[in-house]
Amino acid sequence: MQKCIDKGSELQIRSVIALDHLKNYIYIEADKEAHVKEACKGLRNIYSQKVMLVPIREMTDVLAVESKAIDLSRDTWVRMKIGNYKGDLAKVVDVDNVRQRVTVKLIPRIDLQALANKLEGREVAKKKPFVPPPRFMNVDEARELHIRVERRRDPMTGDYFENIGGMLFKDGFLYKTVSMKSISAQNIQPTFDELEKFRTPGENGESDIASLSTLFANRKKGHFMKGDAVIVIKGDLKNLKGWVEKVDEENVHIRPEMKGLPKTLAVNSKELCKYFEPGNHVKVVSGTQAGATGMVLKVEQHVLIILSDTTKEDIRVFADDVVESSEVTTGITKIGDYELRDLVLLDNNSFGVIIRVESEAFQVLKGVPDRPEVALVKLREIKCKLEKKSNVQDRNKNTVAVKDVVRIVEGPCKGKQGPVEHIYRGILFIHDRHHLEHAGFICAKSSSCVVVGGSRANGDRNGDAYSRFNSLRTPPRIPQSPGRYSRGGPPAGGRNRGGRGGHDALVGTTVKVRLGPYKGYRGRVVDVKGQSVRVELESQMKVVTVDRSMISDNVVVSTPYRDTPRYGMGSETPMHPSRTPLHPYMTPMRDAGATPIHDGMRTPMRDRAWNPYTPMSPPRDNWEDGNPGSWGTSPQYQPGSPPSRAYEAPTPGSGWASTPGGNYSDAGTPRDSSSTYVNAPSPYLPSTPGGQPMTPNSASYLPGTPGGQPMTPGTGGLDAMSPVIGADNEGPWFMPDILVRRSGEESVVGVIREVLPDGSCRVVLGSSGNGDTITALPNEIEIVPPRKTDKIKIMGGPHRGATGKLIGVDGTDGIVKVDVSLDVKILDMAILAKLAQP
Amino acid sequence: MGSAPAQIPTSFGHELRACLRCRLVKTYDQFRESGCENCPFFKMDEDHERVVDCTTPNFNGIISVMDPTRSWAARWLRIGRFVPGCYTLAVSEALPEDLQGLWSSTAMSLEVM
Repeated sequence: MQKCIDKGSELQIRSVIALDHLKNYIYIEADKEAHVKEACKGLRNIYSQKVMLVPIREMTDVLAVESKAIDLSRDTWVRMKIGNYKGDLAKVVDVDNVRQRVTVKLIPRIDLQALANKLEGREVAKKKPFVPPPRFMNVDEARELHIRVERRRDPMTGDYFENIGGMLFKDGFLYKTVSMKSISAQNIQPTFDELEKFRTPGENGESDIASLSTLFANRKKGHFMKGDAVIVIKGDLKNLKGWVEKVDEENVHIRPEMKGLPKTLAVNSKELCKYFEPGNHVKVVSGTQAGATGMVLKVEQHVLIILSDTTKEDIRVFADDVVESSEVTTGITKIGDYELRDLVLLDNNSFGVIIRVESEAFQVLKGVPDRPEVALVKLREIKCKLEKKSNVQDRNKNTVAVKDVVRIVEGPCKGKQGPVEHIYRGILFIHDRHHLEHAGFICAKSSSCVVVGGSRANGDRNGDAYSRFNSLRTPPRIPQSPGRYSRGGPPAGGRNRGGRGGHDALVGTTVKVRLGPYKGYRGRVVDVKGQSVRVELESQMKVVTVDRSMISDNVVVSTPYRDTPRYGMGSETPMHPSRTPLHPYMTPMRDAGATPIHDGMRTPMRDRAWNPYTPMSPPRDNWEDGNPGSWGTSPQYQPGSPPSRAYEAPTPGSGWASTPGGNYSDAGTPRDSSSTYVNAPSPYLPSTPGGQPMTPNSASYLPGTPGGQPMTPGTGGLDAMSPVIGADNEGPWFMPDILVRRSGEESVVGVIREVLPDGSCRVVLGSSGNGDTITALPNEIEIVPPRKTDKIKIMGGPHRGATGKLIGVDGTDGIVKVDVSLDVKILDMAILAKLAQP
Repeated sequence: MGSAPAQIPTSFGHELRACLRCRLVKTYDQFRESGCENCPFFKMDEDHERVVDCTTPNFNGIISVMDPTRSWAARWLRIGRFVPGCYTLAVSEALPEDLQGLWSSTAMSLEVM
């Protein structure tokens, strides 16, 4: 970085620049090259022969290459570049700018044994081929190995350090002073684990925030999107606000707010920072708070304070991690097996309720009554989920169960009340909506609460589900399904109720009847009376009494049910309606005596996810074919089918299910048209004449048959034809230009010139149509059957209206060569009419 | 070339410091003696502690300017209004808050030329 200073007014050059990173070259600014040469004369260090003109566009680059500011500050995270600790995360403790050195804090990788050997003068171990793993330094260990430990006092900070072998330790960390060159400070993103290691005991979640703020200086700026409001923070245009127009690799084009500037400016993305106004709704896209949405409360340079939508708390995030969006998240509610509001057992024999789920950890309200204690735990620190539903007694010796509403009469949360969410070891976790902290959870001893009432006892639930069972045939089936599933939930809970007694544990459980007249049925225990048990059969709508010996516990519904009520409500609700409509179908089925099929079908229905309509079809077939009478009942199911239809839409095989229903609801014309279908040779109907409308249906709904699908378009096709159908229900349809004969009178022929909307035709008498015009009703005239080689007009079927030539007759069919397409078709003679010769 | 040129650094070792505001480069001793020509309000010549506060040894690149008003490079670097002398292209530190007040009060804010 040597530069020659040649100052003097005689010199014509303007300036001389020497760049740090471009050694051996200097830039001279002057008007003429001659001046440059003049100035260099006499200087020893410059080769004045090699003078090169810098092109204009490179000029600014020369000067602009200066910003590589590596601002190191205390508590920054850096990574070591060399030595044993290469790649390790380190925290800057002290920065010495004068000497370009920093003191960093590392997790030591010390091999005590080798150190001991070295210090005692024994054989010096060779350079270890591997690096010892990072481990906190234990002073006592060192002492055991007879390494001298010295306490030293650092003159600047006043802290005590242990000096071992020339290295300074404190709290287990190694403090090392290195030159700035051996650390990299850019783009250091410490992982959660690394941060965790650096946490000395005693710190808690605060360190996250601290690390957040110190990550600032070294972070890569986030992405800019079009339309973002940004502000320039560095460079020439500092403090200029603008909006992003376009984003390039390196540059961001912004439209500045100030007048007088060109429409778009290209700015380096490093010099920009996103700008938010309080009141913007934003979403955090990276960092520890990723996924949170909220409203900006305050903007402080690079840090925004956002009121989160999910937790209703303030969170601090970097402006770069945030984009403006109107999305509102509900937040993640579960990681792994544990979900929000679960009671979990932590490893050190404490337990608590999960009150918040963050990206990698949970916030748990510990089970310490009288004093809310929140701990931040990671997934692996949770031992298991607690599902036990024990019962405790409250202050007045009343039994308290989950979902009972209790009021706290003692302690710091006195006066709060709410339903009990969890009970464990005599401690209640109550959820009070009005309680603002800890997501509304309060932990209290059961003896400091009283039951308020309004408990949703088991019996009520039974009754509810039961009555809902009865309302199977009513249209609003959908609310029933969540009811059914919630029934699934409480039984699972009810089953675990260990506190009451032997048979209480049975109430609410799902059992299977093993003996007796109801053998094979599944049901739920609603009541226990001594030796006999009343079971509500799942398949029938009745409650039967069976002997205790005849039932066995059915363990099908345990964990899956536990999970599904939670979030299955949302995702699986569409499935439920499909479940319930099956119920009505079950009943007629049983009437037909097809009980075994019913049972067999139920099993797959229960357990599997909801594709198996296909296994359903065979029984369905039986049912429908066997009970045409029950078709009559199907209109009842109209309200039912729409939901099922909505669900079945994706399943191809089940397309049939909706169509027959659809057909029936359109009772009337399509029915008639189906009969006309019969007459017209239509490609849709494989079997035509005399068929009940049933038959085509059954043909069509065989799962997978492509013929099934076209039923629907067929119906549509029919509709298109119905105006014509309406004109003439049976027999030929009249069209202009055909030869007709007056019924009864052999001789009078005429040509239909026009068919009127009411069905009558205007006929012009005479075989060539040049006689009188009369108006005739369809039943007065009949068509003239064509003969071979006659020109004909086709009056029915898909080719209606086409003309052609009859080239042969085959019984009741005629062989026609259609004019337009030159196809040879075989059509019924009845629909062919002789074309009038003009 | 009107104004009197600033002192030129006498050596190029570790003592070189750059004024945080105007980026003039001189040695520590030179600052102590005569302060900063462009920023007299810092009063470095009187208050020696100020030298450490207002200058930094962390800087990149040097440009020596004979005539800032007529040098494109000098104007680009915003030193077009300063006295001739040695300047640095960039400083790695920012001026501390309290001293910024002094600066803005003398109406020398950053403007696009």
